[in-house]
Amino acid sequence: MIAVTETINTAIIGKGLMIGGGFIGPGVGIGLIGGNYLQAVGRNPEAAKFLGQALIFVAIVELFGLLAFASIFIVK
Amino acid sequence: MIILSRLFAASSSGPTVFVAPSQLTRIFGWPITNSEVYGWGIILLIIVTFLIVARKVKLHPARGFVGLVEEGVNFIIRLVESSFSNPKVGRKYVPYFVTLFFFILFNNWSELTPLIGDAFKGGGSPLLRPWTADLNATLAMGLITMGLVYYASVKESGGLRIYLRHFFVGNPKNPLYLVIGMLEMLTDLTRVISLSLRLYLNVTIGMIVIDVFAYLGHVLAPISALPFYLIEIFICMLQAYIFTILSVMYLAVAVNHAQDHNDLAHAEEDLTGQEQTGKIGAEPAGAASSGGA
Repeated sequence: MIAVTETINTAIIGKGLMIGGGFIGPGVGIGLIGGNYLQAVGRNPEAAKFLGQALIFVAIVELFGLLAFASIFIVK
Repeated sequence: MIILSRLFAASSSGPTVFVAPSQLTRIFGWPITNSEVYGWGIILLIIVTFLIVARKVKLHPARGFVGLVEEGVNFIIRLVESSFSNPKVGRKYVPYFVTLFFFILFNNWSELTPLIGDAFKGGGSPLLRPWTADLNATLAMGLITMGLVYYASVKESGGLRIYLRHFFVGNPKNPLYLVIGMLEMLTDLTRVISLSLRLYLNVTIGMIVIDVFAYLGHVLAPISALPFYLIEIFICMLQAYIFTILSVMYLAVAVNHAQDHNDLAHAEEDLTGQEQTGKIGAEPAGAASSGGA
């Protein structure tokens, strides 16, 4: 009998879980920011320009997604 | 032709991902990294560009590149001045933020040149790397910015005690307010990390994404990478803007808070003064009302 030694690279599974799990939070967060922005503009259309400045919160939320993306390069 | 060199360089065996800058040589024991070399090159480019533009600026707004730079500078000046409740205080800090914005913008856009990554290599590591794709560089920028913010807010509020006092909602001897104030201070310190990590990760990952999609496109690399090039042009601009506006906001919140506090103290003094004068005039008024009744 021939012994079959098959190695599975579990790092790929880890990377997939990292990307999938890590992007849930920012996805929800950016969705909430965008949805609430649209609601606010709908209530008060004159303030659309001022409220647009609040969209920089997207950058704050996005950081956590980027952290997840960056950490897949650390897993070997 | 040279644009295609970056896009086709990786097509044989996947793109090599560099998360950290690599050391090129040592000069007098100092390690010289590829990001450092490129960063100094971009600094020279910025100095030369702005010297040329500054000579061409006239009273009438110019067209073309000069007008574009002028408009960018004006945009940041307006942004800084409108964030402060007293525009005169804001005007003092305008030069720093204009420099910061254009420095980050030019360095971010330097990731789009075709000589980044696998295309231009020497000794197994790429010779050029954007300055902002180096965590050391962005950490230094974050530290300098937050140092300026702390220095300015202590100076504007008029003393370290008064500045530290504004972290506490009520009396610091109350244990609840003490814990809340300590937490506020702790979250203040994380700003350095969040500012620097955001910029570093955005630029580095933008670089990686362009390389990956150029690799996936194989023969059609320019077409598959083009959308990501266009997104990156926008994101680089956005990240420079976000770094600037966040540091302006940190500074403006601290300075405005201190100033409002001072104004409030002055207003209270005025109020107590008015009360005293009111008390002096109260007797005849009371007498008149009682007399009227």
